[in-house]
Amino acid sequence: MKKEYDTFVLRNEELPDGQECQIAIRDLTPGKRKYESFSVKAFISSSAEQLPEGDRLWIRTDLGRLEKAPWKIKIIERLEAQ
Amino acid sequence: MTFDDNRQFIEALEKSGDLVRIKKTVDWDLEVGAIVRRVSEMQKPAPFFENIKDYPEGYRIFGEPLGTYRRLAVALGLPPATPYREIRAEYERRLAKPLKPLVVKDAPCKENVVLGNDVDLFQFPAPMIHEGDGGRYLGTWHAIICNDPDRDWTNWGMYRLMVADRRHVTGLCEPYTHQYDIFKRLHASKNQNMPVAIAIGMDPICSIMSASRSFGRKSEVDLAGAVRQKPVELVKCETNDLLVPAHAEIVLEGEMVLGAGRLEGPFGEYTGYRSDPRDMRTVYRIKAITYRNNPILTMSCMGIPVTSDTVVRSMDYEILMKRVLKMNGIPFTDVHVPLESATMMAVVGVKPAYKGIANQVGYAFAAAQMGLYKIIVVEDDVDVFNMSEVLHALSSKCHPVRGIRVYDEAIDPSPLNPFLSQEERKWHMGAKVIFDCTWPLDWEGKVPGRVSFQEMYPQEIKERVMQNWINYGFEGE
Repeated sequence: MKKEYDTFVLRNEELPDGQECQIAIRDLTPGKRKYESFSVKAFISSSAEQLPEGDRLWIRTDLGRLEKAPWKIKIIERLEAQ
Repeated sequence: MTFDDNRQFIEALEKSGDLVRIKKTVDWDLEVGAIVRRVSEMQKPAPFFENIKDYPEGYRIFGEPLGTYRRLAVALGLPPATPYREIRAEYERRLAKPLKPLVVKDAPCKENVVLGNDVDLFQFPAPMIHEGDGGRYLGTWHAIICNDPDRDWTNWGMYRLMVADRRHVTGLCEPYTHQYDIFKRLHASKNQNMPVAIAIGMDPICSIMSASRSFGRKSEVDLAGAVRQKPVELVKCETNDLLVPAHAEIVLEGEMVLGAGRLEGPFGEYTGYRSDPRDMRTVYRIKAITYRNNPILTMSCMGIPVTSDTVVRSMDYEILMKRVLKMNGIPFTDVHVPLESATMMAVVGVKPAYKGIANQVGYAFAAAQMGLYKIIVVEDDVDVFNMSEVLHALSSKCHPVRGIRVYDEAIDPSPLNPFLSQEERKWHMGAKVIFDCTWPLDWEGKVPGRVSFQEMYPQEIKERVMQNWINYGFEGE
């Protein structure tokens, strides 16, 4: 079962398309822990073909607006919170 | 009537018809927020959610506890239909006699204690309030408590708090706030984290005090005692020396972490807009949670007025503005912060005793650190609470050039204002404006006469018209 996450694109930043990066995401799995946020090292792409095995990554603007087309994400490692 | 806790307040609201118990299971993920938002916009009774999806029986949410003047009246032990001006007068009268709190050993908030690694903030049904918010908000109607022993002062403040993960919450703590002042002076300067406690679900008066901004460096708990007319009972935290309301539903104990930042927001705010972008914000690490059996989470669904925040803060600003006017020796009749203004606009009634009085009002407020940006100054022939009269005065008496005075680059304490540019938000700079609706004093003898029934007819004619009103064919008043 594919999972779903989302991320907010901060002001003056762009998502690195087709690259490995560190990114803060929220887990959208239904249930008590939905929206837990954490940082991960991941490979993300706007192209489903480039990352067919990836989970779905929804994109929001820094003011919370949901973009229409989701990206894909493959989490490599979850990073520890401060 | 003094409420010892929120549960007694809930019962009183139910009796007065100002609360609805919702037994149907509701989803904490947007459904609760949508219901509370609609309640706020329609000014309906407060919703009390008794069954929350994904959470055990007994975990409840109390929405918008003080979102109407009726609920504010009940909170003060007054009849629900008490006119607002009487509510405010009673509140001001009580504030004059602060009462120190009582420290107790046993407390309802200690019925359950969770420590260290067992802490899990997802234990509580923090709602996802608006679609597109940055996360679930556990703190929208609460108190963040911190201590300033140098000044014998304990600060209670209401700064929004989002759940980041199981042991961290994050939120706005802006440089102009008391909390930031204490953090910077006493802790950051020594390279230390600051102990904090977060109390959720306090009695209604403690919540009012936490939401209020107008008391300077005074302990809000003493003023809560004053307004309650009974001292607040406090109990010591498990993991630090802070004292928290014994009757609170949920207490989070932890520390504000020096140098840490977590992404927080955006969040639909009291201005009626979601205007501040997601950004790195203050982090609170939670080390312990204590809570009552069957805990009740309080929440406010910020947005277009009217919310609990607008009800409480408009009263708070009015009281503060009256103090500022008195301090500056400005002769005034009253101050009104209309609920519809989301606490960003005020109407000040003055006695035009000398020239330039509106400008004096303007200078006083341009210097004050208050989130009021538009001040309408009217003469004493206008009732500041009657918005029909106020709008007529604004439209007819305020000169489009000479009557409007702009105070550019005034301090703006809030980065949340929708009209601010990103640069202004960053530097806490904004602008204020005065609308002078007073007649120039040098127009003496040439002031236009107001054309109204009361002012344009001889007494004898007015009496005749009133006596014959029904005979003319009109309905009585």
